[in-house]
Amino acid sequence: MTNLEKYNAIFTEVFGATADQLGDNFSKETVSEWDSVHQLNIISLLEETFDLMLDPEDIMACTNYNAGKEILTKNGIEL
Amino acid sequence: MILNLQHIDQQRIAAIDSNGATLKYAEITQLSQHITYLVPQRALCFLLVENNIGGIAWTMGMLSSRQLVPLILNVKTEEALLQQLLDTYQPTYICAPASFQKEGILVDQQFGYQLTKVSEGICPLHEELSHLLPTSGSTGSPKLVRHKYDNIEAAGLNISTFFELKETDRPLMVLPLYYTMGLSMVFSHLRVGATILITGLSMTDPNFWKFLKEQRATSFTGVPYSFQILNLMRFFRMDLPHLELLTQGGGKMPTDLNIKFAEYCRDNGKRWIATYGQSECTARMAYLPAKWALDKVGSIGIAVPNGELSLIDTDGNPITTPHTEGEMCYCGKNVTMGYARQQSDLALGDERNGFIRTGDLAYFDEDGCYYIVGRMGRFLKLFGMRVGLDECEQIVQTDCGIECACVGTDEKMIVYITNADKQNEVKDTLVQKTHIVATSFQIRVINEIPKNEAGKKLYSKLSIN
Repeated sequence: MTNLEKYNAIFTEVFGATADQLGDNFSKETVSEWDSVHQLNIISLLEETFDLMLDPEDIMACTNYNAGKEILTKNGIEL
Repeated sequence: MILNLQHIDQQRIAAIDSNGATLKYAEITQLSQHITYLVPQRALCFLLVENNIGGIAWTMGMLSSRQLVPLILNVKTEEALLQQLLDTYQPTYICAPASFQKEGILVDQQFGYQLTKVSEGICPLHEELSHLLPTSGSTGSPKLVRHKYDNIEAAGLNISTFFELKETDRPLMVLPLYYTMGLSMVFSHLRVGATILITGLSMTDPNFWKFLKEQRATSFTGVPYSFQILNLMRFFRMDLPHLELLTQGGGKMPTDLNIKFAEYCRDNGKRWIATYGQSECTARMAYLPAKWALDKVGSIGIAVPNGELSLIDTDGNPITTPHTEGEMCYCGKNVTMGYARQQSDLALGDERNGFIRTGDLAYFDEDGCYYIVGRMGRFLKLFGMRVGLDECEQIVQTDCGIECACVGTDEKMIVYITNADKQNEVKDTLVQKTHIVATSFQIRVINEIPKNEAGKKLYSKLSIN
């Protein structure tokens, strides 16, 4: 699996979302289920999948699909 | 006034919300008197709340007036479920934030909420009935818990006693107002004249942390997942000198996380108190005193003041020896009157008389501290919210057209099905209907759902791990 596939799989796991739903419009504002529990789950899976330890700032910033990608890039994970 | 609120200095601040609004004790008193004046006859009101001062004002105003009996609900309750509740209970009034669309006659408007008369009908309400809460926030069951005014007094007294609450406390409230534990925080803190810091902000929102620090919160109450978030947010590295008490309820905490928080509190001069409770008993029923937080980690501790825990065996006889499992029972004034399943049930009196079988399997140790080992009832507590297993089976049956068997732990629900093609559909349906994170559901395919000769599902044959 490529890193992008791994990344998408996290969203599938947390939201039950399909790959074609994921993109610019997939965010806390547009996805009604996206609350702190879901955000926490994304963070846990990102840390686990990519062997990271994210900062509180990253955790707070992870409020949409693209932001998650930026956080990974910032932490040296290439997508 | 309820909880003797008239004895509190009326100029004190009862609540501050993260929108910057404040609520004085005097304003609760005035709203309560105003409701008495507006509403000629005791009536049912659906109170749709957000975590803000308006939510606290209207909740306490209605309870104190004794004229409006609220069913307290999340303002974001799914439309179909809300409609089902409206059809079932036919309230005379709805009270909701101004942004909430509804038809009817506007009766009053205060603290950002509108009280609207939506029906001329008045259903009979038992004179002791104070308020109603849903038994399950997620699966859409219209079953409600019937509370009485004495439950509020008992919860306020018991909880403020064992937490040693005082006037200068500034508890941070993230738990929803429509959730039994959130509501009990309000009762216990208002009773002592404290100032509740209430917020609906997500704990992963920077403004949440700003609110906590700027308002100098002295205590925090959460469910296990709240503490998982605190942990991830590097809570242990933060400088929070005002925070003196951390309390946890809403299901069993993972042991390693529990120890981490208990050790942190011990080393930093703070108190860590784990609690146990149910909506049927106006929240808290047991607590583990801070001195035992580490020695007896995982225990729910002892009964709250003025309450009593006991165990019975399968024949209903009392168990008096330590380390013997049985069904845990509770006795106290915070035990609610019973359930409501239809409108006419709102006229019913107390069906429990202060005693309840909890449906939890437990034992106690030599010091009388209780440990929960399992559950006899068919529900889980996912993220502190009760989720009925039978209700979930019903959802799958109705929406996916297949039979399933739901079992699990407070960490995960396992759904056994026999049709491999339906795996994704079942998961999607449950996520959509319950709004619970998809990782909480695991769908497993088996050849046959085990049943006895009478056709009853044999859940004990299905693995929960």
